[in-house]
Amino acid sequence: MSELNQNTDFLYPFIEGTETDVDALLTDLAASARGKAEVSARLQQASLEEYEEDLRAAGIAMSDRFARGGRLYTFGNGGSSTDAATLASLFCRPVRGRAVPAWSLAADQAVVTALGNDVGFELIFSRQVIAHSRPVDVAIALSTSGNSDDLIRALSEAKHRGLLTIGFAGHEGGSMSTSEDVDHCFTVHSQSIHRIQESHARIGFRLWSIVQEETERRVADLMAAGSRAPGGIR
Amino acid sequence: MTTTEVPTTLIGTDLSDDLASASLALARRFHTGATLWVISPQWEPHAHHVAVEFVHPVLMGKRALPSVALVEPDPVSQARVATRPGDVILAVASADDVQVLDTMRRTPAWGAQTIWIGFGARPPAGSADHVLWVESDDPMVPATGRFVLMYHLLWELTHVCFEQPGVLEVKTEDSTDEVCVTCSDEGRLAEVVEPPTPDSTTALVRTGEGEEPVDVSLVGGVRPNDLLLIHAGAAITRIDTTEGLA
Repeated sequence: MSELNQNTDFLYPFIEGTETDVDALLTDLAASARGKAEVSARLQQASLEEYEEDLRAAGIAMSDRFARGGRLYTFGNGGSSTDAATLASLFCRPVRGRAVPAWSLAADQAVVTALGNDVGFELIFSRQVIAHSRPVDVAIALSTSGNSDDLIRALSEAKHRGLLTIGFAGHEGGSMSTSEDVDHCFTVHSQSIHRIQESHARIGFRLWSIVQEETERRVADLMAAGSRAPGGIR
Repeated sequence: MTTTEVPTTLIGTDLSDDLASASLALARRFHTGATLWVISPQWEPHAHHVAVEFVHPVLMGKRALPSVALVEPDPVSQARVATRPGDVILAVASADDVQVLDTMRRTPAWGAQTIWIGFGARPPAGSADHVLWVESDDPMVPATGRFVLMYHLLWELTHVCFEQPGVLEVKTEDSTDEVCVTCSDEGRLAEVVEPPTPDSTTALVRTGEGEEPVDVSLVGGVRPNDLLLIHAGAAITRIDTTEGLA
């Protein structure tokens, strides 16, 4: 068939060779986009199913800490730092549900460059954990390799100080998946940094949903107890 | 439980076609020296993610491309100063974002091509050169990774285009975005740079081709950044820049 097509090119001299190339390229690009999106959707679904139980445990623990006044710190490098910022926004500025204090430790360029310049890049997050955190807080680190030194150091510092520590990893999980300093590690099994980040977003969203459900349940229980005991819930 | 279900089709046929066209257009613009400016007034981290994607590719050997997130409180002013003719402006925003609507409206006068990523109700037809839209009204979409997937694919497909240098050259007659209007009946969009002095009716305006003087006696009382439609050296009407403002 392709041989036939090749041999009829001379019959259509008005069709530019490049025009044919462009049409073929656009068709290929569109098919490639759909294929990659399917891979991403399957990976996201598989990750959610694999970690549902542990996500629930982590979400309940987070909700408990928020109820006791805990704050959330998120951090990552590069694209993952922006995903960490999106996750922090989801917790502190949600479109619906209860807002809780959360911020990305990469957000302040003065702090990040001061620490990077003065004490070393591997300490940009751990020094902030030392400065900001109390034992009731939560730390979430996002790394597609699971090996970023600055993240591992911050998670260890956080664990040392009593924080709940959560890691989002990729590939084979790296040192994040084996570290005793990480309470919950969610490793997305893929070799593609892009597909891993897309699943990280989905896992983060699931985690937030569980925290919201848990918080609503806690609030409902408190209010029910309050209405049974006039004079207050204490 | 519904919250644990990932939609099986994240990119449908129409959206994949839109992504393909946008990627080729973006690759062609980069090929001629464009910078990609990114704005996302509601979701600033998405603007940063797009920029780092292009500047520092995740795959070894892919070329670093100029892309900058514009995240100051007034993205219109920031984009106005930054943009040169031939550049591309990408917005990640909902269709009712007034700052993005205003930016998009002005881009023909800046000579920039536009890509708009968002969800929910679509922006008015013609608002941007390429509209990459998630067909969902779920307000949580910006936090579920669907925009991340969208600009990841935009980056991946743009680099596929670079592997086929033959498609990057655009002949003038094939081009839909660089139509020569010098002699046509069409008006061109212009943004006022310097209003006339008190004893003159000539203003300096900016169009997609650069700066030029135009007579503004027909429209009168122009101020900096006013949008005008110009034709044959004269401003013929003023464009409403409050359209879309609630």
